[in-house]
This record gives sequence, structure tokens and C-alpha cells, in this order.
Amino acid sequence: MANNGNPTQAYRPYSLKKILTNHTRAVSCVKFSKNGKLFASASLDKTLSVWSSETLTKLFSLTGHSDGISDLAWSSDSTYICSASDDRTLRIWDARSAECVKTLKGHSDIVFCVNFNPQSNLIVSGSFDDTVRIWDVKTGKSLHIIRAHAMPVTSVHFNRDGSLIVSGSHDGSCKIWDASTGALLKTLIDDKVPAVSFAKFSPNGKFILVATLDNTLLWNYSTGKFLKIYSGHKNRVYCIASTFSVTSEKYIVSGSEDHCIYLWDLQGKNLVQKLDGHTDTVVSVTCHPTENMIVSAALDNDRSVRVWVQH
Amino acid sequence: MNAPIIDPLQGDFPEVIEEYLEHGVMKCIAFNRRGTLLAAGCSDGSCVIWDFETRGIAKELRDKDCVAAITSVCWSKYGHRILVSSADKSLTLWDVVKEERIARTTLPQTPLQARLHPGSSTPSICLACPFSSAPMIVDMNTGNTTVLPVSISDTGNGVVPPSRNRFSDGSAPFSPTAACFNKYGDLVYVGNSKGELLIVDHKNVLICGIVPVPGNAVIKNMVFSRNGQYLLTNSNDRTIRIYENLLPLKGGLKFLEESNHAGDEQDGFEKLKAVGSRCLALFREFQDSITKVHWKAPCFSGDGEWVIGGSASKGEHKIYIWDKAGHLVKILEGPKEALIDLAWHPVHPIVVSVSLTGLVYIWAKDYTENWSAFAPDFKELEENEEYVEREDEFDLMPETEKVKESDVDEDEEIDIMGVEKDSAFSDSDMSQGEICFLPADPSPDVPEPQDKFVGSNSKQGDSNQSVSALSEEAGQSGRLTSHISTPLEAMDNSAAEDNGGTSSRRNRRASEVM
Repeated sequence: MANNGNPTQAYRPYSLKKILTNHTRAVSCVKFSKNGKLFASASLDKTLSVWSSETLTKLFSLTGHSDGISDLAWSSDSTYICSASDDRTLRIWDARSAECVKTLKGHSDIVFCVNFNPQSNLIVSGSFDDTVRIWDVKTGKSLHIIRAHAMPVTSVHFNRDGSLIVSGSHDGSCKIWDASTGALLKTLIDDKVPAVSFAKFSPNGKFILVATLDNTLLWNYSTGKFLKIYSGHKNRVYCIASTFSVTSEKYIVSGSEDHCIYLWDLQGKNLVQKLDGHTDTVVSVTCHPTENMIVSAALDNDRSVRVWVQH
Repeated sequence: MNAPIIDPLQGDFPEVIEEYLEHGVMKCIAFNRRGTLLAAGCSDGSCVIWDFETRGIAKELRDKDCVAAITSVCWSKYGHRILVSSADKSLTLWDVVKEERIARTTLPQTPLQARLHPGSSTPSICLACPFSSAPMIVDMNTGNTTVLPVSISDTGNGVVPPSRNRFSDGSAPFSPTAACFNKYGDLVYVGNSKGELLIVDHKNVLICGIVPVPGNAVIKNMVFSRNGQYLLTNSNDRTIRIYENLLPLKGGLKFLEESNHAGDEQDGFEKLKAVGSRCLALFREFQDSITKVHWKAPCFSGDGEWVIGGSASKGEHKIYIWDKAGHLVKILEGPKEALIDLAWHPVHPIVVSVSLTGLVYIWAKDYTENWSAFAPDFKELEENEEYVEREDEFDLMPETEKVKESDVDEDEEIDIMGVEKDSAFSDSDMSQGEICFLPADPSPDVPEPQDKFVGSNSKQGDSNQSVSALSEEAGQSGRLTSHISTPLEAMDNSAAEDNGGTSSRRNRRASEVM
């Protein structure tokens, strides 16, 4: 129920701007670069595509993985992309030259999630081999191998200053790690059910947005208490990425298995909009860093990347 | 930051050697302002910048004109420039990001220490302490040097005729002097061979105040704490002294000038001593009264709460840690190699020491298991607490089944964007574009035959795969700690992968701790 103060302006809805079809299989992830000029999409068709945010056209493809890709991340200066693949490796690509610069090997199973730290000298990855690895970008060596969970790791993210890593797993737990030593600092949730499908820090690093396979929660991790629940969407099976939209009012944006994109008001937790159009589960959403633009990606029946803007 | 969930029970100083860094023979070290980069001067004239987070080399500053050992290295305030002094009598100023040499000057004598002016983000003037003559201000752009006074002349007006300090006339004695800038660089504090602390206005080359140090022993080192409130002196009488800075941090010079005009009519030396007593007050003295060891490279911790000093005895690598009240809290003991330089990390409880062999040891807190981290509602207790159960604790009352209470106000406004200013860096001016890290460009892979994963589902991995998570601990010698914890539910903690390889790779060595 909406009980926050009167908004200064009426909510301006998002609407579809463009449908981008390029991948030949399910699209697993879309992310804007930190400077907002580009966004990249990763797919089970083993490729990544890099698009211009301005013209909404594809600039180039990145090929090289021998199996599908589940996640991607941009470095802070928007020059490098790291992709996590079912072929058990991660690859670092140079987004200027469209070439693969480095392959990170070490995981013994599917690599499912990846992120750069803000300084972009470290990469964190989570895998179906239950471990979280911290890699040195320069040399490609694993600096820490953390036996993080008892089941596949679904999500890893650095906080604002790169000192902490949050990891979520199918084993139902969400844990916080010290990035420099790999030591466990806190366990946020410990129930075996439901699985934690996604976790990320808020932009200021004080809160963690956690998605479990029944609803989405916003936690204050230093007190260990959850503060808000966002529900109404359908998330029973897939690891759907959600995110913060901060360019105008503050929203939580998430995909859903009912093929829609849900937007909730951050404070009031009320649903402000439901974007429909996709024809399969919307598994990933990303918000432009400065403009009111959302890009979403959907699974096999759809295979498209859709761009939504606020009028 | 992660401050709220780190266990506050442990003291904030390091305890064991965590790693060592190896690259050629390193001689001196300096952290940048935030401790994300560590610059190390080497015996071959190059300066290596380590990324302290990855413990890998971020940059190497090498100049073909300089091949003599580096005697000191100093960062500019926001990390844009590095000044190195070398045994070939030169000072070189580097632009860190561009890896270019900005300027180079040669002095009449080898500078043992050189410090950039701390008040500017692109400083070109520096304070150099040569081997056996008075410290001087050097303008790196023009090469001009201004020798600073080290003692009161007989005329007593506080200004020393320049010829007094020239080594060439033979009359000036061997007078090693220590000197340092205050926090904003408007004053230079000089310690002379008569055991006097001089407060010098370096622009006008004028001694403003004098503080005689008890014991009158030669002063070897001087350094201010990061917040500029305490000054440390290391004297030949084997004593480290801490002085409290009574001047205001900003505009200390102006304050001195104003109070001078209002001063009493005393003759030169007494007047300067009176002024000096208004600038510095002796706060603490540290010494080892049993071994009476000389101290090497003493300095403050980042927050000024601790003082460390290395033992200058050749056969040992000992670091003494005192708290500000004067208590010796720890002696860190490393391998039997002399210690030649020491630095405390600006933010973390980490100490870095350089040994005579050229290795840089990183000392950190001993990793202890945080048991309360394993479950959300675990809490660590310092000691056993008696638990008295409630009267109805074990009663079965189905109607009042425990509901997951949320005593949190779910309507509370949450701020996901606001960031607090980091109090440890209160004077940072973000418009200066501080360099906190150097961009890490992945070094390209050596091309190898394409790995074939098609149709292979086994977890064994093929020969191209590097060490798997299960076997990374095998066969690594010299490992200090392996983080194994009792699993609650088959959840182990991290174990770092060690790789041999190039000489700049990190390694571990055992250490004894007292």
C-alpha cells in the first residue's frame, strides 16, 4: 500500500522504445556500461553483443566461449567486459577492440555470476562448483578461492569501496565476505529454503537487495534485519536479476516469470508499473546510470532485448 | 565501509607476517594517502609501485639516467607525483599516471631523504636532507636550492649567514640533520646535531622558534603524524620522543608571526625558546631500557594511536609497537635480517617493513575465526553468560507460536544513495582527483590451443585446467596460514592459491611473534 509522502510529480510510465533481436538462444544478462554509452547482452548462444545506448544498434559481437554465457560485468572505466560461461571459464574482453584479452580458468563447473570491483583490479566470480573466486585482473590468477556455499553460487557483488563481497546461493544463504582476505564476515539468511537467487549492494553499500525464490527483500546488513519486501512478481525457478533505479525517483526493478518487468517504489513498496511485451521469463534488467532507460532480456521463447524509456 | 561488522575485540595492530613482496632489492617504501598503492625504491635506481590489494606490481618507474640505489621515496598528497632521491646525488620527480619523468636535479651531496611539499597536489618544491649538511628546499622546476638554517648564529637574530652551512669550507662540522614539513607545509621542523628542534619559516629562511630536546643528543629522524598533531623525533640517545603540536594546523606560520609581534622583549635565543615552548610540548618518551637499542625508521600509525620503531641492531628484525600512553604492546620479530625501513598503512592495522636483503614484509593481524559470522543470529560473547530461562520457556502454547517478528518500521525511509564522508580522510578535497588506484589492464594471454569442453561433463577437468578448488593446498611450501574452519554445514573458508613463478610473485614466510 502506498503510504509515502505525496510525490513531487506524477509517475511517468516507461514504455517500449525498441525491440532488439540478435541472439539465437535465450538472453541471460544485459548490463549498461558505467558511463552509459554502451550496453552488452550475453546469451546461451555463446556470444555477447555490445550495443550503443544512443542509436540502439549493435556495434559488435564477442565470440570465443565454447558454451553458453550466464553473466557479464563491465569494468569501471567501461573498457573491459568480463563474461561468465558454462564452459567453466571467464573471459575478459576489451570493449574497444572487441577482442578477448584474457581467459580465467580455475572453476571446475559452470561459472554463473561475475562482477568487477570498483577499482576494477579484481574480479569476483561464483560457480556451480560452490566456490567464489577472487581474480587479479592484471595477471588472471586467483587470489582467493572461497568455499563459500554448499550449493551453486547464484550471485556475487562488490560493495561501493570494494572492501566487501556479497554472495547468494541455492543453499538458501546469503553471505558477506572480506574482499582482501576472503574471510567470512556475516551470514544474512540461513534458511535452506528458499534459495537465494540474486544479491547485490545498494549504490551506497549500506543495504543489500536480495531475491529469493518467493520474494525480493531489502536488507540492512549491519543490523542483519530486512527492511522492505517487494512482491507480486513470479520468481519460482530462475535466477532473475533485479536492480535499483535511481535516475529519477527511487525504484526497484525486477524481471519476472510471468514475462513482465515489475517496478516498485523503493520506500513505499507499492507496485508502480508492470511492463509487458516479452514472451518469456524476463531474466535480467539493467538501468542506465543517468537517463531513465531500462533494458531487459528474456529467455528462449523470446530471445529479445527490449529498451524502455520514460516519457 | 565494513567497520560495523568487524570484531572490535582485537587490538588494532598487526601481529604476524602475512606475506612478503619480492622484486629486486628494495630499499625504502612509502604508501600513498589511502594505502592502496605502495611505492618502493630499489637498489638499481628504479621505483616500483605495488597495487596493495592484489599484491602485484602496478607500475615501474625506471630512468636510464639513474642506476644508483634509491635512498627515499615520497608521494605527493593526492598521488599524482612521486619524488625519489638517489645515491648518485639526484632527485627525480615522476608523473605517476603517465610514467614520465617531470624533472631531475643533482645536489652537491647524496640526499638521504627527500619529501615533497605536502600542501599541494602538484608540488614542485621539496625538502631534501643531504648526507652531511643542512637540509635544503629544492625547487624541482628551476633546480634552485635554499639551504635552511640549522643553528643560531652568534649574532642571535636567528638568521644564519649562508657560508656557515657549506661543507666545502671545512669549518662546518659533520652535522647530520633531520627535517620534515608540518602538515600543510608552511613550516619546516629541523632537528640539529646539538639536540635542538628548530621551527623554520622556509620561505623567508628564518628560524621562528627553538625547542631544546632533553639529553641534547643528535636528532636522526623526524616525522609528523598524519593528522599533524604529533611530532616524533628519534635521537642518538636511543630515545624516541613524541611532541604535541600546539600550533593550529592551518596557518601555523601566521599564528607564529602574530604571536611574535606581541612577544616579550627578550634577546634572540631566549625569545626563540619562548616561542618554541608555545609550539611543541613534550608528550612521551619511548626507549628500551634493557637492551638500549637504537631505533630505525620510527613512525606513527595512520590514526596516530600507535607508535612503531624498528630495532637498528643489525642481526635482528624487530618492530616495537607502543600505544600513545607509552605502553609497549607488542614486539614483532621477523627473520634475522636487519630492518632498514618501516611504514604503517594509512588505514588498516598493517605494517610494512623492509629488510636488508631487499624483501618487503607485510605484517597484519592474525586471522581468527569469527564464529558469529556463520549464522545470522549468532553473537560472540567475551565470556560465559549465565542464561536463566523464562518460566514458560518450554511450555507448549500453540496459539502463541513464535511469529517472525519484524520490529522494524517497514515504512521507514531508506537512503540507498547517501554516503558519509570518510572521517579518516577529512581534509580530502575531491576536486583534486585523487589517484586511489592505477588502472589494471589485463596482460594478454599467451595463445594456446583451444580447450575442448564439448561433451565433457566430468568434474575431473582436463589437463589444461589449472588447480581445482579441491586440491589447491597441496605442495605449497612456506605457507603461513591455511584458513580451515570447522564446517557447520560443509562450508569452509578461504584458502589462497599460491603460485610460484616470477620473482615479483608474493610468497609467505613463517614469523615468530613475541
